[in-house]
Amino acid sequence: MRLVQFGDHPCARIRRYVDSYINNELLVETNHEVLRHLETCPACAAEVESRTRIKARSKSAVQNQSIPEDLEARVRAALRQDSRSSFAWTRWASAAAAILVVAVGLWVEVPRWTRPALPELADRRGQDVFIQKASASLSAVLKVGLGDHIHCSIFRKYPKDPPSVDEMAQKLGPAYQDLVPLVKARVPEEYRIILAHQCGYQGRRFVHLTLTNGSSLLSLVITRKQPGESMQALTVSDHVSGVSVYQATAQNYDVAGFETDLFLAYVVSDLGARQNLQIAYALAPSVHQFLAAVRS
Amino acid sequence: MKRQDFEEAALPHLSDLYRTATRLLADSTKADDVVQDVYLQAWKSFDRFEVGTNCRAWLYKILFHVVHHHRRKWFNVRMVKDSEEILDQVAVSSDPILEHLTDEEILCALDRVPHDFRAVVLLVDVDEFSYKEASAILNVPIGTVMSRLSRGRKLLREQLAETAQSYGIGKGKLEGRTA
Repeated sequence: MRLVQFGDHPCARIRRYVDSYINNELLVETNHEVLRHLETCPACAAEVESRTRIKARSKSAVQNQSIPEDLEARVRAALRQDSRSSFAWTRWASAAAAILVVAVGLWVEVPRWTRPALPELADRRGQDVFIQKASASLSAVLKVGLGDHIHCSIFRKYPKDPPSVDEMAQKLGPAYQDLVPLVKARVPEEYRIILAHQCGYQGRRFVHLTLTNGSSLLSLVITRKQPGESMQALTVSDHVSGVSVYQATAQNYDVAGFETDLFLAYVVSDLGARQNLQIAYALAPSVHQFLAAVRS
Repeated sequence: MKRQDFEEAALPHLSDLYRTATRLLADSTKADDVVQDVYLQAWKSFDRFEVGTNCRAWLYKILFHVVHHHRRKWFNVRMVKDSEEILDQVAVSSDPILEHLTDEEILCALDRVPHDFRAVVLLVDVDEFSYKEASAILNVPIGTVMSRLSRGRKLLREQLAETAQSYGIGKGKLEGRTA
């Protein structure tokens, strides 16, 4: 690198304006002055050209960076969780305010309260409490599906570039790998599989596929039945190709379920009851048939 | 304010915020955390946002606030003094031949520019904010935006030239350039 001393040379004055000239931040008169100088000074013109090219190239390099496919879905999920938490807090605060009014009337000192915080990714205990609260209104057999969806799909960091469908299928293992193309073929086109694996939660093993439509997360959760578990006591939403599908709502989540003699299967999302059920209806017959063939 | 209103106003800027956060932190995982944090903070203060004003600039202001706090947690931050002057002496470095450099190499060079200069380069050159908007986002005077932009561009050019020269590209291209 060399240093070129400009002193009082006209170029020195113009070079002070070059950055603002490139950004179109100069007053009209100054802009004209720069333009006139550039017409007669190849060195300054080259300098402007060089800086302009670096600006354009660095801009395109930054803008070419890929965005995690599920980023928007995760941001929306975080906003929804926060809204629910705020809503619960508002209701609780209203009740507390009412108590305060009574307490003040009775000259009783009221303890301070604090806003319940959302669990962090690393806060496993907080997540369990969150899941317990979210699924409190569900029957025990449906809690299983919602629990794994929140535990594994919501409280998770997804890789920036999801693995390919083939890689995910391999990760599921030979017994379940055909589920990936099967599910992919039956969900609406805008849904992409971003996770397919076997996982564990609360001592159970799950086959778990997570999908996103860009704004919401949806899970297909499958687990082996434990003794005595059945969905038959629940109210049937509909029978699809001979498969009974059940659905219930807990907070913002909808949990649709169906079963074989060995497996419980769930479609869980926050898409709304109608949309969640539509996807469950689309998946139930073929997933049921697939699971009925899994014996080992 | 409904969450739907917030999402309609704020989510279209998600990609730009993520890309800028990634370059500010030189780490996509941290950027991921930061961007989620930005949206949660923005949502919590959305009742104070005036509809019809510049939502993008408002989100970037929150982004820089969040990044500042995360950086204090993650790094030993070396603050840059605001007295960066545009020198009469103009550093003339070898001009990198940009066509031969990949996006990855350009991003690496950008990441080596000190944070406060890089921030202005990103805001003005990449995100196309005006000096006035960048000044409001960073909460610094317009003169500081201008001096950091000038210095940041020079530092970026030097880093690009170093990268190019390490590949034997563009060596001495500008030698002999004088005003």
